[in-house]
Amino acid sequence: MGARRPRAGFFKFTCCSGCGFELAYFQRCLEETLAAFDFAFFRLASSSGTPEGPFDLSLVEGAVTEPFQIIELKKIRQRSKVLYAIGSCAITGGIPAIKALAPEAQVEGAAYKERLYGLASTRPHVINDYVQVDGFIRGCPPGERDLFEALSSALMGKDPEFTEYSVCMECKMADNKCVLVEEGLPCMGPVTNAGCGALCPAHHRACYGCFGLMGQANIHALKGRFRELGHFSEEDIENRFFTLFGALGKTERK
Amino acid sequence: MTGVNASQRNYRVILPENALARWLEWLGGFYTLTGPVGGGVAARFTEISKFEQMDLDYQSTMLPPGKKYLFEPVEEVLSFDVSEGVFSSGPYPPGRKRALIGVHPCDVNAILYLDMVFLSGPYADPFYRARRENTFIIALNCKSVTGLCFCHLVGAGPYLKAVSGYDILLTEIGEEEGAERRGGKNRKFMVELVSEKARELCDVFPFSMGEQPEEKDFEKMSRMEAALLKSFRKNLDMEGVQSALLSRPDHHALKETADSRCLSCSNCVMVCPTCFCHDVMDKTDVSLSRSRRVRRWDACQDISFAQVHGGNFRAQRHARLRQFVYHKLDYEEQFGRKGTVGCGRCIRWCPTGIDLTEIARAMME
Ligand code: SF4
Ligand code: SF4
Ligand code: SF4
Ligand code: SF4
Repeated sequence: MGARRPRAGFFKFTCCSGCGFELAYFQRCLEETLAAFDFAFFRLASSSGTPEGPFDLSLVEGAVTEPFQIIELKKIRQRSKVLYAIGSCAITGGIPAIKALAPEAQVEGAAYKERLYGLASTRPHVINDYVQVDGFIRGCPPGERDLFEALSSALMGKDPEFTEYSVCMECKMADNKCVLVEEGLPCMGPVTNAGCGALCPAHHRACYGCFGLMGQANIHALKGRFRELGHFSEEDIENRFFTLFGALGKTERK
Repeated sequence: MTGVNASQRNYRVILPENALARWLEWLGGFYTLTGPVGGGVAARFTEISKFEQMDLDYQSTMLPPGKKYLFEPVEEVLSFDVSEGVFSSGPYPPGRKRALIGVHPCDVNAILYLDMVFLSGPYADPFYRARRENTFIIALNCKSVTGLCFCHLVGAGPYLKAVSGYDILLTEIGEEEGAERRGGKNRKFMVELVSEKARELCDVFPFSMGEQPEEKDFEKMSRMEAALLKSFRKNLDMEGVQSALLSRPDHHALKETADSRCLSCSNCVMVCPTCFCHDVMDKTDVSLSRSRRVRRWDACQDISFAQVHGGNFRAQRHARLRQFVYHKLDYEEQFGRKGTVGCGRCIRWCPTGIDLTEIARAMME
């Protein structure tokens, strides 16, 4: 190729590091990826490296839950040509956003034995609350397909084509049993963004929405369907949408 | 039992189920046998090794056999490797020959529709064609009707009227007297050899094991068909539907159904045997030397389906739902027939049970 390898950075905020692991274990193409990019900053892979830019491509995982992260995030944005949010924590709030369901001080009290008055923990935020994001690599952790699309597109200098349809499409293409229609399980697949390959339905489990809501998710229509199933309380149904992976998503995504 | 030769009596013979089973297992030496497994309305077309794995009493499958095996959900259409200068398109023709067994009339008609999409005009699809030519279709007339079927309204069932485009037509016409078979009675099938290929394959065996049908057998088939036609529960004025849809594209029934119930999940499109839309995308390795061009099923209910440069011309949910309903019940100009074969799958597999015939009915009022 001869050309300079693009400089890439991987940044982590509040999360389990699963997305970083996903990249570090990038099954089919780890070797090629490491050869194609100059990973100038990727803590999980190497303790050396510098977060100082500039970066051609930055991937940011995790939710924002502390004030210093806001300052860091803005710096990363300034130093990056292209910035993708990676994983549900960064994109929808994910697991860390569960704490948004209770007042912050109450959450701190439950998490730590003594009150840590020095802890400047805030309500959780998605990263595009603070900086402009060029695209979303969805999932918890992301599927290979969108991660691959992001990386190869960055190398080709084109806009990536991320999946923007329901889990049901992947489910049908695999000829899976439909756990909602055939078994009456409260499957979130119809309103959840694809990318996982319909992993849960393929194992006879109802999708719980870990990739986040897809565009124009018709929440009230699916709630109505869950009500008709007849064995869920209003609270169960509400929790299905707004606890594990939707604590911040009380409004339809536009 | 009077033995008959295939060249006699219009290539029709009555065969007991066990003879049919033996013949199919013989056919399995040349074709991958594929038939309905698991009964009722949610059977699946699956590769089988034994006749007994199939349930020929099945009423419907989730994915239609033609769409699953002739227009595959995902396939590679082209690949290249710049570093090695290799360019290949394929893999077609696919190696194994396939026999689709027990395809209902609506699904045979849907295959004939897909043929118009993929094989007519100057640019026939070589992948589809290769699979189509390698597929032996054994159709099976229906013996029961589900509450969602409306094939009778579009002439796509419950008995198959098409005279070509498939190979064999089976109709269960009774049981062999006195003969018990493992797991039940030994049923009898009217077997019609429709294609040349079928006539060659069946010339001696299994025809020699069959009985020549008599007038009373054909009368019995007519009576069974008439009884079936009376058992349909769905109805719609198919003559009036087109003008009603054309003149009322903004009808509130579309908008209300879309807003209150449609999830834009595309299950309807995925299971529809005549939906042919697909997307094509390149998957280029991070080494930037190898690339694969992949085609997969697409759906007009997806929010990004109508996203083009400058905007999305079906950004609203009801505009997408309208596209589906109209393509099935209205756009006859496209292929000279309606897009629906009345199989009822889109209704059955819609998580909220949206019914295109109900929408159309409301629009006609
Ligand atoms: S199992 Fe769930 S994801 Fe799969 S088609 Fe049914 S509703 Fe959709
Ligand atoms: S109904 Fe929609 S997905 Fe189906 S063929 Fe027509 S445009 Fe394509
Ligand atoms: S539109 Fe519905 S009823 Fe008609 S062929 Fe398609 S799935 Fe079957
Ligand atoms: S299956 Fe039903 S809910 Fe899903 S897009 Fe089709 S009509 Fe809408």
